[in-house]
Amino acid sequence: MRSLGTFQSRKQATERTAAGTMLVLLAIWPLVFSSNSYWVGYILTQTFAVGIAAASLIFLSAYGGMVSLAQVALYGICGLVLGNLVTSGQAKGLHLGWSPWLAVAAAVGITTAIALLFGAIASRSAGIYFLMITLTFGVIANTFFGSVTTFGGFSGIAGIDTYTPGLVGNHVTQPARLYYIAFTVAIIVYLLIRYIVRTPFGIALQGVRDEPVRMRSLGYNVPLHRTLAFGLAGFMASLAGVLYAWSIGVVAPGTLDLASTVDLLVIAVIGGLARIEGAWLGAFVFFAIQTYVRNVSVPVLGGSFNTIIGFIFLAIVIISPNGLMGLWDMITRYAFGDRGGGSSEPFRELRRIVSDAWFRLKGGAPTRTQSRSETL
Amino acid sequence: MEGSRLNRLRTWKLLLPLAVGVVAISAVSATSLAARSARSATPIKIAIMTDCKGAFGGATEVDIGGAQAAFAQFAGGKPVNPKKPSAGMTGITISGRPVKIVGYGCGNDTVPLAISETKRLMEQLGADIMVGPLSGDEAVTVAHYAQSHPKKTFVIGTAGSQDPTLQIAPKNLFRYHGDGAQWNAGIGEIAYKKLHWRKAAIIMDDYSFGWTSAAGMIADFCGVGGKIVKRVFPPLNTTDYSSYVQQLPPPSKVDGYFWVVGGTGTGASLKAYEQAFGKVSPKKFIGNLFFAFLGNFQEVAPRLIGAYVGGFGTGPGLNTKQAKGYEAIVAKWYPGLNGGNYADGFVYNYYNAAWALIRGLKAVHGDISGGQAKLQAHMPRTNRSGYQVSNNGLVKLDSNRQAIQDQYPLQITKGPGGKPGLAITGWVPNVDQSFGGFFTKNSPPPGRSQPPCVKHKFPWTGKIHAVKNGVITKQIIK
Repeated sequence: MRSLGTFQSRKQATERTAAGTMLVLLAIWPLVFSSNSYWVGYILTQTFAVGIAAASLIFLSAYGGMVSLAQVALYGICGLVLGNLVTSGQAKGLHLGWSPWLAVAAAVGITTAIALLFGAIASRSAGIYFLMITLTFGVIANTFFGSVTTFGGFSGIAGIDTYTPGLVGNHVTQPARLYYIAFTVAIIVYLLIRYIVRTPFGIALQGVRDEPVRMRSLGYNVPLHRTLAFGLAGFMASLAGVLYAWSIGVVAPGTLDLASTVDLLVIAVIGGLARIEGAWLGAFVFFAIQTYVRNVSVPVLGGSFNTIIGFIFLAIVIISPNGLMGLWDMITRYAFGDRGGGSSEPFRELRRIVSDAWFRLKGGAPTRTQSRSETL
Repeated sequence: MEGSRLNRLRTWKLLLPLAVGVVAISAVSATSLAARSARSATPIKIAIMTDCKGAFGGATEVDIGGAQAAFAQFAGGKPVNPKKPSAGMTGITISGRPVKIVGYGCGNDTVPLAISETKRLMEQLGADIMVGPLSGDEAVTVAHYAQSHPKKTFVIGTAGSQDPTLQIAPKNLFRYHGDGAQWNAGIGEIAYKKLHWRKAAIIMDDYSFGWTSAAGMIADFCGVGGKIVKRVFPPLNTTDYSSYVQQLPPPSKVDGYFWVVGGTGTGASLKAYEQAFGKVSPKKFIGNLFFAFLGNFQEVAPRLIGAYVGGFGTGPGLNTKQAKGYEAIVAKWYPGLNGGNYADGFVYNYYNAAWALIRGLKAVHGDISGGQAKLQAHMPRTNRSGYQVSNNGLVKLDSNRQAIQDQYPLQITKGPGGKPGLAITGWVPNVDQSFGGFFTKNSPPPGRSQPPCVKHKFPWTGKIHAVKNGVITKQIIK
């Protein structure tokens, strides 16, 4: 009988090898393929940037037990603040013409402060109420920036990509620069989250997630932990906002509308709400589908990106509630023979997945609600 | 020992398919990139950007049909399906060089989708030239995009914001139709002279086209001495206008309302007015183009018989050879497009954009090398647009590559069988984007409080010709 420890170490080794391979591939991508390709300039750069925002959502969900719908609002706020501060001349909004780095620092600082404020307000609620409060933050941000023309109004701020620091350069002629910056920031955010969740604060946050009443009785300030976690997630989302603004060049209230809020949630769910890595995997799948499946026609329903991404979302929720990373966990369990002492026959594993999905569709409990790896 | 070997074997069992997958993706991408660069030498790739969602989503086929009618007429294109323009077009050639329509952009009148669609068309599908977009904010976005992509050429499909060609004005962006202000030139004077309005309120969509469209009405009405006493601005895509309509002064306090609410909001906003203040009175309402076009006509016109409409730079029923010629061309390739209403700016402006582009490409014999500098230099500075009468029927471009065109204020009339119809009521010749210097590059772009309401004489003030039965008369509207 194989020990769970051996399974875990093998799984970790496999994941590290796979992650290393992916990182090397992504690091050499612009060098091997054309750095001017749409993949470098849009799909992968957006994957890194929006993946950071999704990672901030997953961080709050997986380690704080808070599913936030305000992350899109936060990265949109950061982009709009940056646009107002950095642009000059004919641009709409304040167009203050600040130096790019100063504007970035101010935009990130302001967004983090707003996130702390949002967090302080929402920290005493949980579950569906937390979801609704954060959704309200998103709607307020969208309405505010859409209505206050001083900050750009419905049209937003355009031309931000021409006010980048020298390091970023011109995204049109040198897309690889922003690609590598976004890639690096994504790695830093990932490592930061991994680090935070191992600190006393991170461990206490997980305690708050699982047993808030007990943590309070042990003397922990539960709202403060939640507020700080929200602030941290807001900081991460603001970095996504800066990268988004540099990459796309335009930030408008539409960037932080309800549809975009849902899009980020879809990204996080497709990737998997239980593991940080899922953020970038979900973002990649989302942008790849958005780009390449647009003209595919679904019989009877017609063809559109929303139809197809909707089907994928449904399939993920039914078959693997932990998203693609959950599927990966299933695959590794099969590959390494860890099925809770069961057989390694692939058909049995497939039967279990189908059976779980069927139970979920009927509203009952799956045969096994959580894998061991998820609980560890 | 045996166990660890087995473990390694299992690890490879997982990693091998992953590695194969990665190599396959890389190979496919590399092949696709190589194939793309090889292809780029042959056809000229054109993208048509329009809206298929949002307030103007209903105009998709109309826009594409307008543009492709020009490709069919002047560049040998064959519609795949004359009843569905978006089915595509084959056989387009210009000076012996094949032209391929690589894709249709699907916007929703918002900035984020406009930029992602533009990027998809220009960067992923590799379009060299774009005909589009539709709608004001999208045009602002595309103008900024054009500014940072000088080696591509952009011909606006139909969009009425002022900024793209006055404030931003990149050298590779062309617009062969008027902006929203130009489309309302003369209507303020008609309100003042024919309806005797002195005080009016205005409700306008809160985005760049709404502001520009309203700017034309405000400038024209205030220019002859009228006063705007209230400006209300509901966000685009509002569905319940009650709270915005409540902000308007009641009909007893003003002589009339300028109504600049577009797309799906036109009917909804009028309904909100009726709920607040009672039945609409045609003599108290002047609408911008949305009273007459984009499917709103059947909904709003029956209760607005007699109301004036700003217009779209088009002359529905204009009785000139040039106008009939244009309408015959569209009817030939896409019969029944837009219900046979070819005087809709959504058809007409896309048609003229594509036609001008074809002429530009012919002038350089399809040569778009050298960052398209030659093409941009040879894009026509005049266009024989269907409803143009001034300058021997030629629309001229100004130094910002923006059309100077004739404008036709319209009136909703009772047609045969009691059905509402549209009649041209006036002819405003040679309306330029600056309104004779009133709007400048350095003046604040139209907004909630711009332009201010001031008396001003425009080049056409006091020179608007009456039009009767589609014929321009010498009589001046007084």
